[in-house]
Amino acid sequence: MTITAKRKTVLGISLCADPVREPCFNVVQRDAEMMEWPDPMSEISRREKLHRHMNNETVAMEIAAQLLVDFPETPWQLKMELARQCADESRHVASLHRRLKQLGGRKGEFPVGTFEWAITNVCDTMAARLAIQNRTFEAGQMDLLGALRTIWRSVGDETTAEVLEHILADEVNHVRFANRWIKRMIQEDRRLLLKVAMAMRMFAEVNAALAVKEGEINAVGVDLSFKKHATFGVNVEDRRNADFSDEEINEILRQSGMGSLAAQETH
Amino acid sequence: MGLTVKEKAEFVGTFRWIEVFLMETLASWVPTTPEMEVKVLFGRHVWEAAQNADGLGKRSFELRAPMHYTLPPPDDYEALFRELPSLEQTSDRIAVFYDAVLPALAKRYSDYLAATDHLLDEPTVRVIERIVDGHKRMLAERQTWCKDLALAAPNPALVKSWAQREAAFPGMVTHGAGAALARAVPA
Repeated sequence: MTITAKRKTVLGISLCADPVREPCFNVVQRDAEMMEWPDPMSEISRREKLHRHMNNETVAMEIAAQLLVDFPETPWQLKMELARQCADESRHVASLHRRLKQLGGRKGEFPVGTFEWAITNVCDTMAARLAIQNRTFEAGQMDLLGALRTIWRSVGDETTAEVLEHILADEVNHVRFANRWIKRMIQEDRRLLLKVAMAMRMFAEVNAALAVKEGEINAVGVDLSFKKHATFGVNVEDRRNADFSDEEINEILRQSGMGSLAAQETH
Repeated sequence: MGLTVKEKAEFVGTFRWIEVFLMETLASWVPTTPEMEVKVLFGRHVWEAAQNADGLGKRSFELRAPMHYTLPPPDDYEALFRELPSLEQTSDRIAVFYDAVLPALAKRYSDYLAATDHLLDEPTVRVIERIVDGHKRMLAERQTWCKDLALAAPNPALVKSWAQREAAFPGMVTHGAGAALARAVPA
């Protein structure tokens, strides 16, 4: 039995069981169990951000690696993309770990989650997993990194900003190859379109079910309501670089409450 | 007399089978190994093995075999490799992979380089020399990434046993007669 055949249950929802972690890590299941503070750039918040990001990159590496294991019949060129992604994510983990230590942090200092692994790996097709992990999570990370590099620079931390710039450049490649291969796979087998659509619907439902609720308090006693209002802009330039069409970018802008910007951003 | 073109393709195809198998084995260990630094190490080397397989696969086509021609080794030799994914302890995975598998493979590549004509077969020689260089880098990175980890001692018998059994195989390639194998087997 491969690791992705194992299941766990979170709030009554069946998800893929967690990848293996060292004892120093406290793996939690929901955002509400994480540590987060309203001041996003206090010293402890900075370390927590790097720690969280380091773990997310570890999860991304694990998902890419597991795709090579679970889908041995994948075309060689896509295997090459996934293998390269493993090395890229590995480098991201290492660079974030190095920066975390430079700022006085250590692995295991904060709780971590593996939600991306848990939800992506319940899907039974390569196309659906790429749609959730690369096209959704990693594309969302492009948006996030587009904003974060500026925030780190604004507090005078050019070193971390540069780490994020390099990660962002790699993520664009991961999203782009996923977009290209999903299109190609669907052109070759139209039934995959339904599989991808069902996966995205499942993703939206699970995401909503596990999302932070109004009035919820996190692991350090902070009311998480502040997160409801925290939004990051859409990284239009890099979404274009990653082969999102103007129509798709417009839709993302609308969904993120920036519909009025859609026309001017994409034309 | 040196190797024929078809025999070279069969060697290249078998080396490719091994590199693909190692890529998949390392990939399977990434989510199932606890230590973050070791995940990082294996993640890097998934890509190393993939590049090795890619170079060999392109070379196979130049040797009149199909593109990315991949030839499984003889059954017993293949079985030896198929033991690898079932290793569970981190220290055993590291020890067997870096202290037994890579050195054994280095010897097989070295034997090929000794057997082939370096002028007639120069493109294969270049591909293999790059792979051997890459293996040296992988061994060095193992030291870098694992030096601060307090891992349990590996089972030395595992490394010794795997290395001895591998070395006992006189040939790792299935050669075919006439039109068999290299020219006939699809990628």
